Amino acid sequence: MKKNLLVLLLVCCVAGQLMAAGSSETPVAKTNEPVTLSVLWFNDGNESDVFTATMKDYLASHPNVKVDLQIVAFADYQQKLKMMISGGNPPDLARMATADLTSLIDTVLPLEGYTDVTSLEKQFVPSMLAYAYNKDNKLAALPVEATANGMLVNKTAFKNAGIDVDAVSKTWTWEEWAEIMKKVIAANSSNGMKYGLAVDFTPHRFSTIMYQFGGHFLNADQTAMQFNNPGTIASLQWFKKMHDDNLIPKSVWLGSENPAELFQAGIVACHIGGSWNVNTYKKNIANFEWGTVQMPKASIRSSVPGGKLIASFKGCAHPQAAVDFMIAFADKEHSSQYDKETMNISARVDTNIQYASNASDFNIFADELKVTPAFTANEWKNPNLAKVTAYAKEQIVQYLMGNIDVDTCVANVDKKGAGFFK
Amino acid sequence: MTEFKKGTRQFWIPYLFLLPNLLIFVLFVIIPAVQGLAMSFTDWSVFSKPNFIGFANFKELFADEVFLTTFRNTLVYSILTVCALVVVSLGLALLLFHNTIKGVKAFRAIFYIPSLLSMITVGIAWRFILGDEMGIVNFLIRSCGGKGVQWLTSGKLAMLSVILVSVWTYAGYYMIIFISGLQTIPVELYEAAYVDGASRWYSFKSITLPLLSPTTLVVSILATINAFKAYELILTMTKGGPGYATKFIVQQVYEVAFLEDRMGYASAMSIILMLMIGVITLIQFKGSRGEGENE
Repeated sequence: MKKNLLVLLLVCCVAGQLMAAGSSETPVAKTNEPVTLSVLWFNDGNESDVFTATMKDYLASHPNVKVDLQIVAFADYQQKLKMMISGGNPPDLARMATADLTSLIDTVLPLEGYTDVTSLEKQFVPSMLAYAYNKDNKLAALPVEATANGMLVNKTAFKNAGIDVDAVSKTWTWEEWAEIMKKVIAANSSNGMKYGLAVDFTPHRFSTIMYQFGGHFLNADQTAMQFNNPGTIASLQWFKKMHDDNLIPKSVWLGSENPAELFQAGIVACHIGGSWNVNTYKKNIANFEWGTVQMPKASIRSSVPGGKLIASFKGCAHPQAAVDFMIAFADKEHSSQYDKETMNISARVDTNIQYASNASDFNIFADELKVTPAFTANEWKNPNLAKVTAYAKEQIVQYLMGNIDVDTCVANVDKKGAGFFK
Repeated sequence: MTEFKKGTRQFWIPYLFLLPNLLIFVLFVIIPAVQGLAMSFTDWSVFSKPNFIGFANFKELFADEVFLTTFRNTLVYSILTVCALVVVSLGLALLLFHNTIKGVKAFRAIFYIPSLLSMITVGIAWRFILGDEMGIVNFLIRSCGGKGVQWLTSGKLAMLSVILVSVWTYAGYYMIIFISGLQTIPVELYEAAYVDGASRWYSFKSITLPLLSPTTLVVSILATINAFKAYELILTMTKGGPGYATKFIVQQVYEVAFLEDRMGYASAMSIILMLMIGVITLIQFKGSRGEGENE
């Protein structure tokens, strides 16, 4: 009896060891092992559908790989991802906006050891690749979509005022723009046009104007807040003047009204948005001609680079399979197809996407990116800046409302930021 | 012995029935609350190890202008919303308690339906109604030759709009509670008052209000807790703006925790919010007990 019990105990121990070994995670998965990659995704438009369609051939040629795609609303995305990571259950892959990537960069899986990083680095546009490095300067993500801020205009409204916006926009300054807008509004007031410009209610879009006026958030070596500088102050003063002169509607920055809706309704003549707006306007605007033009300059011309990257995470279930999958997704063939169908600018250096429509719009956004100073990307990839931008936005609104003066506004933002740059 | 066993069983059976609920309550309310309290004494950010920092977070809170503004806003919003809700829902209940109005059941349903809607839906819908440029109300005002009102871009009007929408949303829900409270008042009391020549107002003041005070207490406590936790409606309707005009503590807790990654500091804010709700509920209880004693 005792012998039987001993044998049973041994069998149980061996079985237990085997089961434990089977369930333990190995850092490098075997290539033919069945793998279900958990992928966290958010949509601006049709991205998840295009992503699935784009990677169909990869999944067909890798029958052991399956994808469990979880789509989360963008508003909840960062919170969900943070909870998954801090709970020790990160997804294998996630679509990451540049702002989210900077705040989570410490948790992202460096690609070194899983692939040849040197050959990968040469394939992407440097300003986009800047976002993909972690604090140790190791490549940790792959850019798949580049975006730029730019100006979309109601061309019909300009025509009604007798202005060739394509021609004037090649050299215009913000002062010239303001004068032109007064004429455009006057010529179109009977059609319901009331304002010249709507700027998205985000610090990212405001920073486009700030950079054009020579302003910045951080000092030159990115180690401290420096919102209090002549360029930023000039851009804030100009922004407030445009609000006070009714060239910019108060309802966007003070009342959270959607600037894209105001543009589509013909209430504003211009919209400082992003390259993703092209897709929306293509679908929604039928009653007037619209297009992208070069943004006016102040002291310099500038946009703000942005985009989406794909990344894996430290401690995920299938790191090797995840890296293989993301390299395939970001390669020339797949990313070109994805960017073409989602109407995004490519983050690769070797693509020449033939968009089905609006090619000229995307070319203008790409030109804006080319003249954009590199420090803008470095500022926006700073994780400490990401912690202060929401506060900066509130302080800008306080200034627009007249509750504080411009000096208090910039000083408050610097004071708040100092806490994060200790 | 059998008697003893029976007695023991009788003693334990109620607790056994309470056990599932108690377990859920402990797991999802008590433990997170204790964890939150512990976190409030640390400098924990999402991905770092927490260090004990004593009362530093609480000290910082009372020098934090944004927190103090959201604290004041929460208090103003809660007091005004709760008062308005009690008055409006009681008024609706009195109107729709008797079946004297035609279609009373339909009216009750109409007033109740908003409370079934998601607050996100309510917020977005009202933003479309009250929006400065695209809003339906301003469209109608402008169509009649008016100038349009800055419902959501003027600080004071934005707060008023948020309060009105909150009352619109919840009044029907509390109306139902008041109606059930009114049903418990014996009709004989009104009949006796009528025979004694009491006016309607006198009956309301001397019979309805005192006998309805337990229901009023429940309504005011529920409404207070809801008001202090207001988040989705504000976020979708005004995003807390313009500036800080409609920013409340819950939104600030979210932003500090998830945008600034300061979990410890956000926990300290949550503790203050919990204390606020606790103190106000206690005051309501005390007030109601006082009224009862006087009678």
